[in-house]
Amino acid sequence: MKALILVGGFGTRLRPLTLSVPKPLVDFGNKPMILHQIEALKAIGVTEVVLAINYQPEVMLNFLKDFETKLGIKITCSQETEPLGTAGPLALARDKLIDDSGEPFFVLNSDVISEYPLKQMIAFHKSHGGEASIMVTKVDEPSKYGVVVMEESTGQVEKFVEKPKVFVGNKINAGIYLLNPSVLDRIELKPTSIEKETFPKIASEKLLYAMVLPGFWMDIGQPKDYITGLRLYLDSLRRNEPSKLATGSHIVGNVLVHESAKIGEGCLIGPDVAIGPGCVVDSGVRLSRCTVMRGVRIKKHACISNSIIGWHSTVGQWARVENMTILGEDVHVCDEVYSNGGVVLPHKEIKASILKPEIVM
Amino acid sequence: MKTSDQKVVAVIMVGGPTKGTRFRPLSFNTPKPLFPLAGQPMVHHPISACKSIPNLARIFLIGFHEEREFALYVSSISSELNIPVRYLKEDKPHGSAGGLYYFRDIIMEDNPSHIVLLNCDVCCSFPLTEMLDAHRRYGGMGTLLVIKVSAESASEFGELVADPVTKELLHYTEKPETFVSDLINCGVYIFTPEIFHVIQDIRTHREDKANLHTLSSFEALRLTTKTHAKDFVRLDQDILSPLAGKKQLYTYETMDFWEQIKTPAMSLKCSALYLAQFRQKSPGLLAYGDGTKNPTVVDDVYIHPSAKVHPTAKIGPNVSISANVRVAAGVRLMDCIILDDAEIQENAFVKYAIVGWKSSLGKWARVQGEGDYSTKLGITILGEAVTVEDEVVVVNSIVLPNKVLNISVQEEIIL
Repeated sequence: MKALILVGGFGTRLRPLTLSVPKPLVDFGNKPMILHQIEALKAIGVTEVVLAINYQPEVMLNFLKDFETKLGIKITCSQETEPLGTAGPLALARDKLIDDSGEPFFVLNSDVISEYPLKQMIAFHKSHGGEASIMVTKVDEPSKYGVVVMEESTGQVEKFVEKPKVFVGNKINAGIYLLNPSVLDRIELKPTSIEKETFPKIASEKLLYAMVLPGFWMDIGQPKDYITGLRLYLDSLRRNEPSKLATGSHIVGNVLVHESAKIGEGCLIGPDVAIGPGCVVDSGVRLSRCTVMRGVRIKKHACISNSIIGWHSTVGQWARVENMTILGEDVHVCDEVYSNGGVVLPHKEIKASILKPEIVM
Repeated sequence: MKTSDQKVVAVIMVGGPTKGTRFRPLSFNTPKPLFPLAGQPMVHHPISACKSIPNLARIFLIGFHEEREFALYVSSISSELNIPVRYLKEDKPHGSAGGLYYFRDIIMEDNPSHIVLLNCDVCCSFPLTEMLDAHRRYGGMGTLLVIKVSAESASEFGELVADPVTKELLHYTEKPETFVSDLINCGVYIFTPEIFHVIQDIRTHREDKANLHTLSSFEALRLTTKTHAKDFVRLDQDILSPLAGKKQLYTYETMDFWEQIKTPAMSLKCSALYLAQFRQKSPGLLAYGDGTKNPTVVDDVYIHPSAKVHPTAKIGPNVSISANVRVAAGVRLMDCIILDDAEIQENAFVKYAIVGWKSSLGKWARVQGEGDYSTKLGITILGEAVTVEDEVVVVNSIVLPNKVLNISVQEEIIL
């Protein structure tokens, strides 16, 4: 079975992290974002994943070679020379997605984190016999997104309403699709929107069905949602694979610690913290609701909450880092410094406190 | 000694990527030394100035940028000037004097009698021939270019005291907290090869001492080998300060302009200074027009030959337009740098801004800065491939590459 992951563009909303690596390679829960999806696909028997990208293919390709061998799944790239929207890339990758088996293929959006109930989706797709299935998820504020209006019992999709001004429903497109190869016949090789052009057409022929996504869903394309997403992800680990989470008297709530990370004495870690490979957390450190990426060093007595600490950065002694501080790669916060929402670009040293949210270039 | 025997070698320090964060977002794609001022790469201006030195044998660029970034420029400028120009890459930063010492064998290959040392990010008239004459008269080991600045701003630089008659350097201190002098170090020097012995002495002296540098923890993190401290020699603190008052160093004062190009805003200011200099010394490089076949031009303006500018546009003052730029009808450009491949659509307005490579400004878009070159958001900077849609206004903002602006913004940094 095949799958396409829509990786798209520059990931500007996740800067400064995406100034160092392309967005799919930004770590989430101690592994690159895209690995969560590739692993879920591999688990249900997908043999080939095509990444639809238009930015920094060399970086992606190098990285993917590693995964290919480790995971035993074929990974290729389909590179857009001009942005093709959300449906165009499917047409571009047509030859890679269609084989003689006539099996449906998955399409995933790379910004999305969820439990990936792909097996149930295959069963759902077979049972309704339509041309395309999409996952939808319930949200509190549907007008921020595209709402999918569907018939509750069968899941048959009636229409899509983009950012509705009045309430038409609370289910939105979760960015996970299972499509029959015939869908590719409907998409031309030009910039096309799958939500605005392709799906409405299929819906009008009553061949599009929606399944409500069980479990959590988050679009982690921007820092605030990244942190919320981590909470949901760790929550889901607690329910499904609790042995992966850290335990100990210094741990509160859900905490993920990579086996190569070191944590000192007298720390209090959690809730909702991920500590990446090779990190060193000195004694007396308080971490909550934050992600600490590969190679970071947190010095003694520091206190970090609601923040993302980028690869190879250091946080000095008694430093206090909070309120959506995002440190890019190789950022060094000096001892005793306070960062209240600083967004710091890579390769900087922070010697003076940042008292209110500010971008440091 | 016959002056015709004496060869001169020029060394231009171009720095490297880790030091370039102040020049963001323009430094994301282009090393700072190659950023264009008045239509020519920053490093081109000191190189051009070196051309006028009699008996110039060779020009070296020393830095720790990747070699391939300079390969193209170096080969083209070598053939244009008919003087060998070579980029020497440091494996790691050695400091301003350490870098010179590191490559001493290569620099001394032609057996030069004098070495001209320049910093690439200095913007001035580079009176090198006059400085060399003065240096020979003084008979010392080194001569510094100096300039008087306002007392308030002097503390940002190296302040020095010189004897008003002999012009000897009597005292030198880097970025002092209290006022020492309003005469500052311009970052342009002439040395005799004796300088290498001086640096050598400092290095040997260091090995004997226990704890020499007070490196900040950040600098210490930057250094990757244990022998580092010995290799890292700074010209100002380690050479000029100790040698002041010993009849070895002299000063030459310039009355012309001088600025340091540390930020994108300063590059806009310095581009204007160089355009004014072109008007004095090479007016053929500037553009002219009266709105009939060519656009109306208000002094001083540089337009690359491949750029297409509609005759109904009005350009200037202080505008520099790079290669393949397209400027449509009715556009007004003032005090700005428009980088390669940018497109400016009908009736748009740009003032006190830098428009990045491949960017696009829509119809009636307005991209503007207040014109304060010393504050962070004093001019507007659009990074590479930024799109400003029709009728959108961008004021005093910095926009990182690949963004699309469809609503107006003021005083913002957009990542």
